[in-house]
Amino acid sequence: MALVQEIAVPLIAVNDTTLTIVEMNFSSGQQVRKGDTVITFETSKTTYAVEAEAEGYIEYLCELNKDYEVNDIVVKIFSSVEEVKTTPTKKASINGSAAKKQVAAAKTERQWSGETVFSHKALELIEQKQLNKEVFHGYDFVGKDDVNIYLGLPIETKQVKQKGLAKAHDNQPKVIAVDTAKAAQQKLSSNKKREISYLSDVQAPGLTSTLYTAVEVDNIFVNLNQSLKTLKNSLLPIVIYETGRLLKKYPSLNGYFAGDSIAIFNDVKVGFAIDIEKGLKVLGLEQTNKLTVPEIEERILSLSNDYIDDKLKIEDLSDITFTITDLSGLDVTFFKPLVNMQNSAILGIGAIDTKLQRCTLALTFDHRVTEGKLVGEFLTELKKRIESYRPKGIVPKNVTCFKCLKDLAEDTSGIGFVKCITPQGEEAYICQSCIAGF
Amino acid sequence: MLKIQSEVNHKTIKEALRIRKVEEKFLELFSLGKLNGTVHTCVGQEFSAIAFAGQLKKKDFIFSNHRCHGHYIAFTGDVRGLLAELLGKATGTCGGIGSSQHLCHNNFYSNGIQGGIVPVAAGYALGNKLKDNGAIGVVFIGDGTLGEGALYETMNIISKWEIPLMIVCENNFYAQSTPQNVNLAGDINARAEAFGIKAFKGDTWDPSLLMSKAQEAINYVREESKPAFFLVETYRLNAHSKGDDDRDEEEVNNYKDKDFLNVFRKESPSYYQIYNDAIDVEINDFVEQIMREHETDFNDYHENNQTVSSNEWQPVESISKRQVELLNEFFKDKIANDERTVFIGEDILSPYGGAFKVAKDLSFIKPDRVFSTPISEAAISGISNGLALNGFKPFAEIMFGDFITLAFDQIVNHASKFHHMFNKKVNCPVVIRTPMGARRGYGPTHSQTLDKFLIGIDNVKTLSLNTLLDPKIVYEQVFKEEHPVLVLENKVDYGKKIAQNIPANFKCEKNADEYPVVRIKPAVSEPTLTIVAWGGMSEFVISCLESIFLETDLKPELIVPILISDLPVDLVLSSVEETGRLVIIEEGSQYGGIGGELLASLAEKSEVAFKVKRIAAHPVPIPAVKSLENIVIPDKIRIIKEIKESFI
Ligand SMILES: Cc1ncc(C[n+]2csc(CCOP(=O)(O)OP(=O)(O)O)c2C)c(N)n1
Repeated sequence: MALVQEIAVPLIAVNDTTLTIVEMNFSSGQQVRKGDTVITFETSKTTYAVEAEAEGYIEYLCELNKDYEVNDIVVKIFSSVEEVKTTPTKKASINGSAAKKQVAAAKTERQWSGETVFSHKALELIEQKQLNKEVFHGYDFVGKDDVNIYLGLPIETKQVKQKGLAKAHDNQPKVIAVDTAKAAQQKLSSNKKREISYLSDVQAPGLTSTLYTAVEVDNIFVNLNQSLKTLKNSLLPIVIYETGRLLKKYPSLNGYFAGDSIAIFNDVKVGFAIDIEKGLKVLGLEQTNKLTVPEIEERILSLSNDYIDDKLKIEDLSDITFTITDLSGLDVTFFKPLVNMQNSAILGIGAIDTKLQRCTLALTFDHRVTEGKLVGEFLTELKKRIESYRPKGIVPKNVTCFKCLKDLAEDTSGIGFVKCITPQGEEAYICQSCIAGF
Repeated sequence: MLKIQSEVNHKTIKEALRIRKVEEKFLELFSLGKLNGTVHTCVGQEFSAIAFAGQLKKKDFIFSNHRCHGHYIAFTGDVRGLLAELLGKATGTCGGIGSSQHLCHNNFYSNGIQGGIVPVAAGYALGNKLKDNGAIGVVFIGDGTLGEGALYETMNIISKWEIPLMIVCENNFYAQSTPQNVNLAGDINARAEAFGIKAFKGDTWDPSLLMSKAQEAINYVREESKPAFFLVETYRLNAHSKGDDDRDEEEVNNYKDKDFLNVFRKESPSYYQIYNDAIDVEINDFVEQIMREHETDFNDYHENNQTVSSNEWQPVESISKRQVELLNEFFKDKIANDERTVFIGEDILSPYGGAFKVAKDLSFIKPDRVFSTPISEAAISGISNGLALNGFKPFAEIMFGDFITLAFDQIVNHASKFHHMFNKKVNCPVVIRTPMGARRGYGPTHSQTLDKFLIGIDNVKTLSLNTLLDPKIVYEQVFKEEHPVLVLENKVDYGKKIAQNIPANFKCEKNADEYPVVRIKPAVSEPTLTIVAWGGMSEFVISCLESIFLETDLKPELIVPILISDLPVDLVLSSVEETGRLVIIEEGSQYGGIGGELLASLAEKSEVAFKVKRIAAHPVPIPAVKSLENIVIPDKIRIIKEIKESFI
C-alpha cells in the first residue's frame, strides 16, 4: 500500500506558469503499467507527455482541457486500487498551487520535470535521516549538500574557490561590448552602481544560502492593528520588534564577514529597505531591541518621511546591523533577498497569501559567518513569536459587519463586533461604528 | 686555357655577370655589417640558373633552395627586389622577412629546407596538370640533397603520375663542408632512371651546350607532360655561405681558372669592362636608394588578434547518422561540386575507400581529383601544400595519426611558414586529416594521440573532431579557411552517431563560434566541477558523467573545445570561477600537453584560486592488450578515483 508516483505540472518554458491538460489516457481507478503515457500537457509551444514510472492504479486530480499551475500535483499512482479516491478532486488551479507552495516552503528553485538523480552520498544521508526522496521532486541532481541544505545542516563539500587577495575589494565587473544595433545601451546610475557593489560584497563569493519559512497569520491583525496607528495590516513593525530582540540571542546574524575574522556588532540596529523613486536605501532604527512596537511604527514613519523629503541623516543610513526587506505590498509571496555589505543576513517578508493566511519569511545569510542550522533555529523562533500574536481560541471566519462590510480583522475599536439580526431576519454581525456611530 | 664558344651570346654572358656582381655585392655588404643573417652565393654556378630559370616561360614556376639568388634573378629579373630583400627593407621581395633563402615573386618560390620543396613543387606542377594550362616547373636541389627521403618519395610519384616537373640537381661536389665521396653512394642519374624518369646531363663550363640541353629537357617535360631529371655539373667558387671554406685552395683555384666568366674576362677584357661597369652602376644606384628606405613595421607583419569565445548557447541537435557517413557525404559533395577539391592519401581508391572509409566512392565520382598515393607521408603532405599554393583545396589523409610525424616537416616548415615568410603574398589552405586515438587495440604505433605536438604551430588551426557536432558543418568551415588546418579525427568516433549519448538530466549546448565549443551541464543545478576534454576523449567522458556525480557528489560540467589550437580559455575560466574545480582529461600523455597550455592561459587570466587536476595517458606506448590499453588511456575507474583524490 503506497503512493508510487506523483506527477506535478512541469516547468517547461519559463514563461509558461500554467499548462493545459490535453490528454488523460486513463480514468481514475484504472490500472496503468510502467511506461504508459498517462497525461499530456501543452505549453505555448509544445506538448509534453508523462509516463508512469511503475505499475499501479491511477488517480487524476485534474480535468481535461483545464489549466493548472506549475508544480500542481495532477496525478497520483498508488500500488493498490483501494487507495484511489473514486471521485477525483477537481481543484481550481490557484488552490493547487498554493498547496504545493506550502510543501515547498523551505525549498530552492526546482525546475526539473524529469527524474531526479541522487548521488550515493545523498542517498546515504536521505536514508540516515529517513527522508522521503519525494521532497526533492523538481531537482535534476541531488548531492549530499542539497540534502544538507534541505535539512538546514552545514554544507560539507570543501569550498575551493578563493578570491585572490590583491583583488579582494575590486569587484569591477567585466565590461561587455554592447551591440547597439541589437540593444539600446543605458548608463548605470551611480545609485545602481552603489547598489551593485553593496550587494556584490557578500553575494559575489557565492557562499550565501536562503532559508524560507511559512508563518500562519490568520486573524493576526485582529490583535495587531490595535497597537498600530497608521501601518495597519502590516507585519513590518512586529517583525522588526521581534527580530530586534532575537538578534541579541543570535549574535552571528548581527555581524559580518571581515576577511579572516567575523565581526559582531555590539548594538542592534535593524534597517528596513525602502525604494520609492529615490533609490534603494536601508534606514536603520537605533537600539531596535529596546524599542516598543508603537515606537517602531513611529520611527518607520518618520524615517520614511525624511527619505521622501531628502532629509535623512547620515546616522539613519549607517551602521545598520541587520536588514529587513518587505515586499508584501507588492503581492510578492516568495523571493530571495540579497545580503547587504557588512551584514551577515537579510530577512525578506513576502505578501500574505489571503486564501491560506500565510506569509513566507525568507532569510538569506552569509555562510562564512553562520550556518544553516542556526539560521533555521532563528527563523523558526521568529515564526513562532509572530504567530503568537494571533488571537487565542477560535476566531470565527467571515466575520464581517453586514452594514459597512468591514472585516473583523480590520476592526480597530478593540471591542469587536456584535451579533445581531438583520432587518431581513438573518443572523449577522455589526461593527461598533455602525451600531454606535463614530 | 679554354676557348670561348662563339655561340654564347653576350646577353647570356651579361646576365650571368649580373648575377655574379649582385652576389659579390652581397658579400661586400655583409663584410660591412649591412646585411643581417647569411647568404649562399652561386658564384661559379650562374649558367645553371640561366639555362633553366632563364629559359622557362612566365606561366611556368620555380622552386629553389638556399642557393637561389641566381635562379631568382634569371627567372624574375628583379634585382632591386632581391637587393632590398637582403638589405631587410620593406620594398624587398618579401619585405625583408624571408631574405636570402625565402623568396617569392611571380611563380618563384624558395625555401631553406633541403628536399622539402621537392614534393611541394610536385604538388604545384600537379595543379598545373589538373588545370591543363601547359605550364611546367623546375625544382633546384644540390647534390647534398640527394640524401633526403622526401626527394625519392616524390620522384616515385611524379614518375607514376606523369607530373610535368623537372628536377635540376646542381652538383657542385660538396654539401656544405662535406665532399661528395663521403656522403654519396651510387650514381646520380641512375637514381632518376630507376624511377623511370628521363635523365639529362650538362655542365656550366660549356654554357651554350647546357642552354640547348636545358631547352631540350624543358621541351620534353612540356610536350610529353612527364618529369625529367637534369644533372648539372658545376662548382661554387666561393664559400658555402660566407667564409666557411675548408676546400683545397689549389682545387678551388683550378676551377676559378676554368670558370667561364673568368675566361671571358681574360679573353674579352674590354667587353667585360663595359658590362661590368654598367652593372656596377645599376647595382650601386639600387643600393644607394635602398639604403635610405625603411624596414617593415612589425604591425604590418603581425597583428595580435585575440579571439573571444561566443557566450551564446543553443541546444546541440543530434543526428542519427554515423560520423563517418557524414564525413563521406561532405567529401562526396565537395569532390563532385567544387573543382578545387582534391582528395589525396594512401589506399583511398574505391571500393576500398581508405582505411576508415571516409573516402568511400570518391574516386568513382571524380577519378581525376582523387589520388591514391604510395606510402609516402612527406610527399602526400608536400604535394598537398603545392596544390594549395596553386589554388586548390587539397584534403590529405594520413592513414593513422601516429604517421603524421612523417609529415611534420611539411606542416611546420612549409604550410605553417609560407604565408608569413613570403610576406603574405601567398596562402596555403591545405587540410591534413588523420584519425588518432586508442581503444581499438591497434597497439603502440597505431593508437597514440599526438595532438599535443600539433597545437602551437603558427598559422595552423588544429581541430579535434568530436561526436557532438555535425562534421559536415565543421568541414564546411574548414573548407573556407585560407590557411592550413589539421583535423584530428578519432577512430572510435567514426562509428558513433552525433550527440546521441547525452546522459539524462544533462543538457548539451554549443556556442556560436566558427568552431563551436560544446558544453554539457546539469539541466538545472549549478555545476560544481568543470571538466575539459576534447576529441575522442570527450565522447568517453560523456559516458562517465553520471558516474562521476554518483560517486564523487560533484555536479560536472563538461566543456568540449574543437579548435584545440586556440582553446576557449575565457569560457573555461568563467565555468571554473563558479565551480572552483577543474579537471582536464586528455588522451595524449600529460607532460608538455594541451592541459598544461590551458592551465597556463587560465592562470594568466584568473583572479580566483581554483583546484586543478590533469588526467592523461600514462607516458608509455599504448599496449595492444585490452586490459593494459584501458589502464594506459584514462578509463572511468581512474577518472573517478583521481577526481575523488583531488577534490574530496
Ligand atoms: C633539411 C636540411 N638539413 C640541413 C640543412 C643545412 N644545410 C643548408 S645547405 C646544406 C648543404 C646542402 O648541400 P647541397 O644540397 O649539395 O647544396 P649546395 O649547398 O651544395 O648548393 C646544408 C646541410 C638544411 N638547410 N636543411
